[in-house]
Amino acid sequence: MATGVNTRRRRPRQRVAEGSRRLQPAGSAVVVTLVALLVSVLLNAPGLHKSATIQPEGWKRDLALAVTGPLQAVSDAFLIDRPRAALKEALGRSDDDEVDTAVAVPKPTPTEPVGNDEPTTTPITREKFSPQRKLRFWVAGDSLVVVPGESLLRAAGGSPVLDPVGPVDGRIASGLERPDVFNWFKHVRKQLREEKPRAVILMFGGNDDHDFMTGLPEGTEIGAFGSPSWEAEYRRRVGGIMDTITRARGYLVWIGLPITRDAEQTSRFDAINAIVHSEAEKRPGRVSYLDTYFYFAGDDGGYAQYLTNDEGRLVKMRADDGVHFERPAGDLIAREVLRRLNQRYDLTSWRP
Amino acid sequence: MLFPTATFAIFFMVVLPLSWLLMPRGERWRPFIIASSYVFYSAWDWRFVFLLAFSTVWNQVFAVAIHKRTEPRARKALLAAAIAGNLALLGYFKYYGFFVTSTHNLFSLVDLNVPLEVRSIVLPVGISFFTFMGISYVVDTYRGDFEPVGFGKFAAYLSFFPHLVAGPIVRPGELLPQFDSPRDPRYVDTSRAFFLIGTGLFMKVVIANYLAGSIVDQVFGAPNQHSSLEVLVGIYAYAVQIYADFFGYTNIAIGLALILGFRFPQNFDSPYAAVSIQDFWRRWHMTLSRWLRDYLYIPLGGNRGSRLFTYRNLMLTMLIGGLWHGAGWTFVVWGAIHGTALVAERWWRERPGFVERRWTPWRRSWHRFATFQVVCFAWIFFRADSFADAWDVIVRLFTAWGEPSPLVTGGVVAAIAVGIGSQYLPSRFPLAIMARFSRLPVPAQAAVLSLALLVTHAMGPEGVAPFIYFQF
Repeated sequence: MATGVNTRRRRPRQRVAEGSRRLQPAGSAVVVTLVALLVSVLLNAPGLHKSATIQPEGWKRDLALAVTGPLQAVSDAFLIDRPRAALKEALGRSDDDEVDTAVAVPKPTPTEPVGNDEPTTTPITREKFSPQRKLRFWVAGDSLVVVPGESLLRAAGGSPVLDPVGPVDGRIASGLERPDVFNWFKHVRKQLREEKPRAVILMFGGNDDHDFMTGLPEGTEIGAFGSPSWEAEYRRRVGGIMDTITRARGYLVWIGLPITRDAEQTSRFDAINAIVHSEAEKRPGRVSYLDTYFYFAGDDGGYAQYLTNDEGRLVKMRADDGVHFERPAGDLIAREVLRRLNQRYDLTSWRP
Repeated sequence: MLFPTATFAIFFMVVLPLSWLLMPRGERWRPFIIASSYVFYSAWDWRFVFLLAFSTVWNQVFAVAIHKRTEPRARKALLAAAIAGNLALLGYFKYYGFFVTSTHNLFSLVDLNVPLEVRSIVLPVGISFFTFMGISYVVDTYRGDFEPVGFGKFAAYLSFFPHLVAGPIVRPGELLPQFDSPRDPRYVDTSRAFFLIGTGLFMKVVIANYLAGSIVDQVFGAPNQHSSLEVLVGIYAYAVQIYADFFGYTNIAIGLALILGFRFPQNFDSPYAAVSIQDFWRRWHMTLSRWLRDYLYIPLGGNRGSRLFTYRNLMLTMLIGGLWHGAGWTFVVWGAIHGTALVAERWWRERPGFVERRWTPWRRSWHRFATFQVVCFAWIFFRADSFADAWDVIVRLFTAWGEPSPLVTGGVVAAIAVGIGSQYLPSRFPLAIMARFSRLPVPAQAAVLSLALLVTHAMGPEGVAPFIYFQF
């Protein structure tokens, strides 16, 4: 009372901005943001749970699963996830939130020995293709395949005999370890059934250098990366993909992993390459392993981001992340893939 | 830490209330927001935090030194050193490889082998943006536009996370005065903030990502596998993709700053409704255009000389602007196309006897159409990995009409229509939406936002691709 000023806080007068919109207190901004995020988390719980599931292994994934698992249960129990399901269905993407970890690979047959070094010796005929009967091919794999795949498609554009079944089927962060991220075992079968490619160009492994696999057979556990149990399971998957393709009369060119800036990563990639290489050798004439290591090594045998091309020009071969390819590297790989397709198939005798 | 991710949402929900709680005490708020911004930046690569810190110290030291000196020569020398340091940093991280390969290949034409060492250098995200903001600070201090602020305030300005990695390029005079006094927590423009964030998320997550995956990547990856119609639609789709991507990012950045109580300048104003290339640059990446004008074009002499001198300045500004976008000759050509168009427009307007005609609807439509075609033609070089790739796209555009075009789907056409059509909406529409939203009770506002997030998340692809402008 000494000052005679009323010290009681009065509600502030509402102020408006352009277009006569009301300005709000910061508190309501915080509340609206928080509530909107919480409600949208429940509405999108299936998608968030899938995002958590397909994360790389580690504490972040564990934490995300621990949070999104109960949220998904609540969302499902109270039907809060139904609007999302309806929206996905309307978009024709009902499968988006499903996680399928089934590793469906054919059982090895006596003609495709697994575990011994004797290669199959079935004679391979060099089938003819022509502009009237084109060689259909499919390029697929993880993100590493995208650049060489595009180079291959561009090269095929100049050939009247080659017919790609579609764009490069490169799926980021995918591989053979984690069918939960993307189920290649299922997808390869589907593509073979629907598109009937006679040649398949694959590149996998860039995301497979970890201790963690999903889709393991009941009771199977894997040890650390490179351990006998890990290797046995990864070999089963690599061989399974190869058999799936070769039994559908497809010729497979498997592009090996390149040297990378990180020496430890390179040695892990070497372990994966060794498995793929040995599995390819068991299927001569039907699977060809393309070793890319020395294409991208410098004069000292180590990693090189820039290399001199055939024309003597210094070109950037590798992306800034030290793993992925730049266009000249893709062109180099594509040229070698085409050479192998020409070796395996008769693509030229149609010419008069 | 990308904006449209759960990680960022959690980060922001911690920062938002704390920022408002600490706001009344600037000496507490500033360390908090600097720490938050450094945490945000370190999510990409913690080592680059030192680079940001170095840039902060470098520019502050020189700004203070420039301010203290009165002798023009000393001030000029300090300014030159400050700018050289900034450009050296940018040059090393962004242009080293480009410089070495270009030099090597130039000399190899005459069979000379220049022993230059090529190194693998990782480009720190956002370096182009915070370097330009640092240069603004020292140049504005040199010009006497304002006195250097305290170190904490400058560090907060340079690292403020909403603009840190891809702009908008906020001038010191625009943001630093807002740090002088606490923002008033009673009056926050939340409806505009939520509108910007909502539309930004939709444009990036739904439109940009959809177009990239549905047609753009295929067409530019292997143009000779596609029909002319697919190539044409692919080019238009890229124009929309890059707009939706960058406009989306900018909207989110401006919206986030607004919720925190700060105003950023506008960065886009319906660029594909431009009636000339000059008009386009008043509407596209407006904060970069302003920066290039005030710190490059005008210091070069601007239009204060002969016509040829002005044309030279225009061309140089656009060539350097092109190179700023990426260390490659295709970006220089992209800048050259815009520079040539700007020079041509200027020449046309300045020729004797030129009379500005009235803008009829037909004339405006024709100019918009023609401008959009020039912009799209330039985008070919911006998107292509090499001249050979750009040439393949151009050749295919004219040589494969009548072939099947399975990539040109209803969804692609609709996404392009949304991306371009949204730029022709009268400004009263978003204003009316914001006004109506602002009058809703808090629970209803939260419900509307939740639904917007549901639609965006459900329609978007799995995972979110990085923003295109992060690479610049």
